[in-house]
Amino acid sequence: MFLTVTLSLLEGFLGTIKLFALTLLFSLPLGLILSFGSMEKLGVIKYPIRFLIWVIRGTPLMLQLLIIYYGPGIFFGVNVWGGSANGRFAAALVAFVINYSCYFSEIFRGGIQSIPVGQYEAGQVLGMTKRQIFFKVVLLQVIKRIVPPMSNEIITLVKDTSLARVIAVYEIIWNGQAFIKSSGIIWPLFYTGAFYLIFSGLLTLLFGYIEKKLSYFR
Amino acid sequence: MSILEVSNIQKSFDSETILKGISFSMEEGESVSIIGSSGSGKTTLLRCLNFLETPDEGTISVRGEQIFDAHGPVLKPEEIRKRRLHFGMVFQQFNLFPQYTALENVMLAPKITTDSPDISQIEKNGKELLDQMGLSDRMNNYPHQLSGGQQQRVAIARALALKPDILCFDEPTSALDPELTGEVLKVIRGLAEQKTTMIIVTHEMTFARDVSDKVIFMDGGVIVEQGESHAVIDDPKEERTRQFLASYSGV
Repeated sequence: MFLTVTLSLLEGFLGTIKLFALTLLFSLPLGLILSFGSMEKLGVIKYPIRFLIWVIRGTPLMLQLLIIYYGPGIFFGVNVWGGSANGRFAAALVAFVINYSCYFSEIFRGGIQSIPVGQYEAGQVLGMTKRQIFFKVVLLQVIKRIVPPMSNEIITLVKDTSLARVIAVYEIIWNGQAFIKSSGIIWPLFYTGAFYLIFSGLLTLLFGYIEKKLSYFR
Repeated sequence: MSILEVSNIQKSFDSETILKGISFSMEEGESVSIIGSSGSGKTTLLRCLNFLETPDEGTISVRGEQIFDAHGPVLKPEEIRKRRLHFGMVFQQFNLFPQYTALENVMLAPKITTDSPDISQIEKNGKELLDQMGLSDRMNNYPHQLSGGQQQRVAIARALALKPDILCFDEPTSALDPELTGEVLKVIRGLAEQKTTMIIVTHEMTFARDVSDKVIFMDGGVIVEQGESHAVIDDPKEERTRQFLASYSGV
């Protein structure tokens, strides 16, 4: 029984990791773009983005999942996601990417704005372009500063993926819960915790390594 | 022909006028010290020369070529980058790039701003400059491993690496304790002896008198007095200059 449960949970955890990895892949660059937008001088760009960030950070992710999945059908009469498991996964991914981009953008913004203006000016008087200053001077310093808040947020993401259950996306909790109905046992559900723990443990090690790698400068 | 000709530079921030019409010129190989109390506009003037601020009024010419005119067309970033390279800038807070070693700091700009850089030549030049700054044994150290005085000397080498026509110093020793001030002033004195064209904003009066050829005293956004350095500091003509210098004599 233990082996059957483990295998089933592992399969579910693959779904968890898929959602986790794809969310990161899309929301990291999107978050960087949003952070630039939220620091833009032009109000037409800045204020809509800040409004979006406020709405997304101010409402529960679970609610966002439901609205993104059911919203198009209810409000526009089109079921853009289809009825399949893949469609539900895509809807969940979109909700996660929007949500996490907003959180990441605020972390990026904090990191970028914490770099002293003297760093930019030193680059300018040395004849560097804006782009060179950002990529050759500022970026690594920003990364160093945002590793701790980023690792926090990314570890939260690991566990937040379980929310995708509300629109029936197959992930580990879903598989764990299935054993209650099928076999009348609850321990597989509790057992899922071990998977989360091990995975976030690995991430903690990874972020510790990155932090150490970047400790050569201050 | 003067290497630098500054004419009627004016600059306001919001409603506050910082520079009220600054004009001066200097010759190649000359070093000029700018003295004056905080808020007199010294730093803003240097920042205008380096295109970190845009003057509201006035012109700046280098070797007879006008590089800035407040009434001229707005310059493209590309053009500003080219023109500001007439000047080098050493900041009060050093502003070294923390993730690069001393040598990498000196090499970075020449490496990434030239089209087909000759890396070995850039490296050779960087090492020579750091050597000249007395930092041969510190080339591979990161800024946080260096003292303030050493960091400032790296910053000077970094500015020199681009071979500016005129090197500007914005209170280069104000962030240093007296012990470290000496080593930085010694380096600047060495540059003056080699006839490097320099503008030095400083609070070190003895240094200004002994090292620079000319001293400009600024107050309230105008040049109150300028002339040969010993004349201005030992025998000022203007009452305001006398008052200012008197506040230093007791120290």
